[in-house]
Amino acid sequence: MLAKDMLEFRKHLEAQGILFCYSGYMTEDILLGIGNALKKKMDIQDLDAKKKRAIFSIFVEQMQNVIRYSAEREMHKETTELSYGLLTVGEARGKVYVTCCNVVNAADAERLKITLSRVKGLDKDGLKALWKETLKGDTPEFSKGAGVGFIDIARLATGGIDYDFAPLEDGLLFFTIKAYI
Amino acid sequence: MEPMLIDATERSPEISFDFVANNYLIRGESYPEDVNEFFGKIIEALEKHFATLDGAVVNFTFELIYFNSSTAKILMGLFELLDATAAKGNTVNVAWKHEEEDDNMQELGEEFGEDLEHAKFQLISIES
Repeated sequence: MLAKDMLEFRKHLEAQGILFCYSGYMTEDILLGIGNALKKKMDIQDLDAKKKRAIFSIFVEQMQNVIRYSAEREMHKETTELSYGLLTVGEARGKVYVTCCNVVNAADAERLKITLSRVKGLDKDGLKALWKETLKGDTPEFSKGAGVGFIDIARLATGGIDYDFAPLEDGLLFFTIKAYI
Repeated sequence: MEPMLIDATERSPEISFDFVANNYLIRGESYPEDVNEFFGKIIEALEKHFATLDGAVVNFTFELIYFNSSTAKILMGLFELLDATAAKGNTVNVAWKHEEEDDNMQELGEEFGEDLEHAKFQLISIES
């Protein structure tokens, strides 16, 4: 029963073209580990350097978003923080996709919707202009990174991005972003 | 001033700064866990040293394979510092080396370089 259940789970992942799947607490060490495995897999597949870099960049930005912003986190002695998230990397219709999901609170969800709808509506030149403006401006107060990660993702996702929110209890939302390269 | 030499790691670039000859190199991949922790002291040392220069020739080389968005913010600040150093009477040569087939990295170099008004900028394609 045990192996059969897990095989069903694996078949479910394979049916969606998923090559990598991680659900759990995300740390910078896990980012590094999965990132190295992803690089090796892309080397074996012999993807061109540009596509490899784009996939890797999007993977890093998405993982760091979860590590920094997931509302589902555990604190230990104010120094160790663990963020919960879900990551999949797969292939469908000739494109590679990177999907990342995490829990967000309502205020963050509103901010994400504004940022992402703006980014999604921009063409190449528009994204470049916003990228520069954001890099030169002051880092937003809520941002632990540069606040430029989603613009980077949109610029590198040659097949576009999708995002969505599903309601959870207590006003929280389940945020998903999927980028196609 | 003593040279600043930091070996590359899996996720942070090699730093090779010669403050006497004014040759500077940042090379490798950059997606450190905390960009401010990694780059804070490096940028501080450059700012301090560049403030003392007058009529000097500065050669600054970027040879990056990959950097994340937090690093991009640091790079933008660094380009602004280099341009300001050139504006006050120094010759600043900035070289951006990228792998031949990686035109994303070439484009990023162009985007950083096009804002330089006083420093000289050169894109160099290297065989991967």
